[in-house]
Amino acid sequence: MPQGLTRLKWLVFALLVSPGLVKISQVFSDSSLANPVEFLIRGFGFWGLVFLLLTLSLSRLEVQLRYPFSRLGRLLGLGSFVYLSLHLFAYFIFDASLSLAELWRDIVQRPFILVGMLAWLLLVPLAITSTPGWQRRLKRHWKRLHRLVYPVIALGIWHYVMLLKADMSWPLLLILIFALLLYLPNKKSKTANS
Amino acid sequence: MTRPFWSKFRQDLSLNENLVTDEALMHNRRKLLKDASRVGLGLATLGAMPQAGAILPNSPLNPRINAEYQPALELTDEVHAITYNNFYEFGTSKKDPYDHGSRLSTEPWKVKVDGLVNKPQTLDVDDLLKAHEQEERIYRFRCVEGWSMVVPWTGFELAALLKKVEPQANAKYVRFETLFDPQQLPFQNTKVLDWPYVEGLRLDEAMHPLTLMATGLYGKALQPQSGAPLRLIVPWKYGFKSIKSIVRITLTAEEPPSTWMKTAPEEYGFYANVNPKVAHRRWSQAKERPLGSFFKQDTLMYNGYEKQVAGLYKDMAGQNHFY
Repeated sequence: MPQGLTRLKWLVFALLVSPGLVKISQVFSDSSLANPVEFLIRGFGFWGLVFLLLTLSLSRLEVQLRYPFSRLGRLLGLGSFVYLSLHLFAYFIFDASLSLAELWRDIVQRPFILVGMLAWLLLVPLAITSTPGWQRRLKRHWKRLHRLVYPVIALGIWHYVMLLKADMSWPLLLILIFALLLYLPNKKSKTANS
Repeated sequence: MTRPFWSKFRQDLSLNENLVTDEALMHNRRKLLKDASRVGLGLATLGAMPQAGAILPNSPLNPRINAEYQPALELTDEVHAITYNNFYEFGTSKKDPYDHGSRLSTEPWKVKVDGLVNKPQTLDVDDLLKAHEQEERIYRFRCVEGWSMVVPWTGFELAALLKKVEPQANAKYVRFETLFDPQQLPFQNTKVLDWPYVEGLRLDEAMHPLTLMATGLYGKALQPQSGAPLRLIVPWKYGFKSIKSIVRITLTAEEPPSTWMKTAPEEYGFYANVNPKVAHRRWSQAKERPLGSFFKQDTLMYNGYEKQVAGLYKDMAGQNHFY
């Protein structure tokens, strides 16, 4: 085991749960929250997207710093999936009132819901195949399948942009980070200098 | 939209908000502290102590309760109504108007009434309060975003003010304008919206008994985040029509383009009447979430004022006036 990886995993785990725990505890403790549902849904969605971007950054960090950061991929990836599932369920419970008919109507009437739904659906096979067992079973196809994270992030950011009225500063920041990550190499190059 | 969306958050970096904030607040505080009765203002704490003076933000008012407008509806918790606001001049997050509202000085405040009227005039808000009896009405308020509230406004009918200035025969619309002062309203340095904020009503809508010039909320004078010292309330329309912190009212012959119409014309029209069956371009308007509640409730036609206002639009059957 590389130096400190277990400790790093615990640190990352703590980092993963903090925003969620803080938001949920705020909902119960702060009675002056005017729109607790929006607060939760937006919070889960935003952090899910941020952690997905963080997952992407692992291999880039590994290339730059020569430390096996990509071993944190399953933890971060599943953590993102949990956030985005909570985002979806909170919406399903409070906005769609647990009605599949409502959900369908929203998907059909609200383009940004369709895009968000698509992004989450594409994430499901990634979550399911995140185990080492599946990695072995799929071999090189696993790598290809998990490239789906790129369209998922793009759809997620598009979903975010579509729901805002005017101020695009946050999605813009995420786009810049995404672009930067796309620019950075995610595997060590095979040149003599590496 | 004709501009790319990224131009909207380009800020004037010469006004570094963080450096200026403390100074601006200090200047405002000093200006306000000159008059001993203004101790409570300017401190961004909830429950600032109200002092004497009819229109100091949060000061107690004594409106006559208008029995005709006391529906048996559950009132929204006051704390939500004053901490959850869309007032982009202070920032685009819902807490910004409450957090930064103290930058706005509401005394003295003048309202210019001009355009196609026989008696154009500039009025001090104090004069407006003396000339028109303030009454309290409980209205529904529905934001286009999908949240809503039920709040008791204090104010007087806009019709009373308009009758005083005598609109001319060719006046068909009323245009309203918010203060333009980037020092007090820092986001007016950004391009998130065109400034100053402009709204409009058709003359018959403006003269309707429901249309209010509001000066207070929950029995206290409006705080900056709620549109102090004077704002419009048109309860059967989406909330963005209820323009805040008004400095100018102009009678016009042509329909005035409103700020949101200019920002996104395919999404925000001039009339913006509430109709649960007519969706926003990107989301449904069938339901709304009352502030403080977890669950949604059905939205009502004309926000529950169908009986009173549907007649205004009977000649507009072919037009979509629900956005």
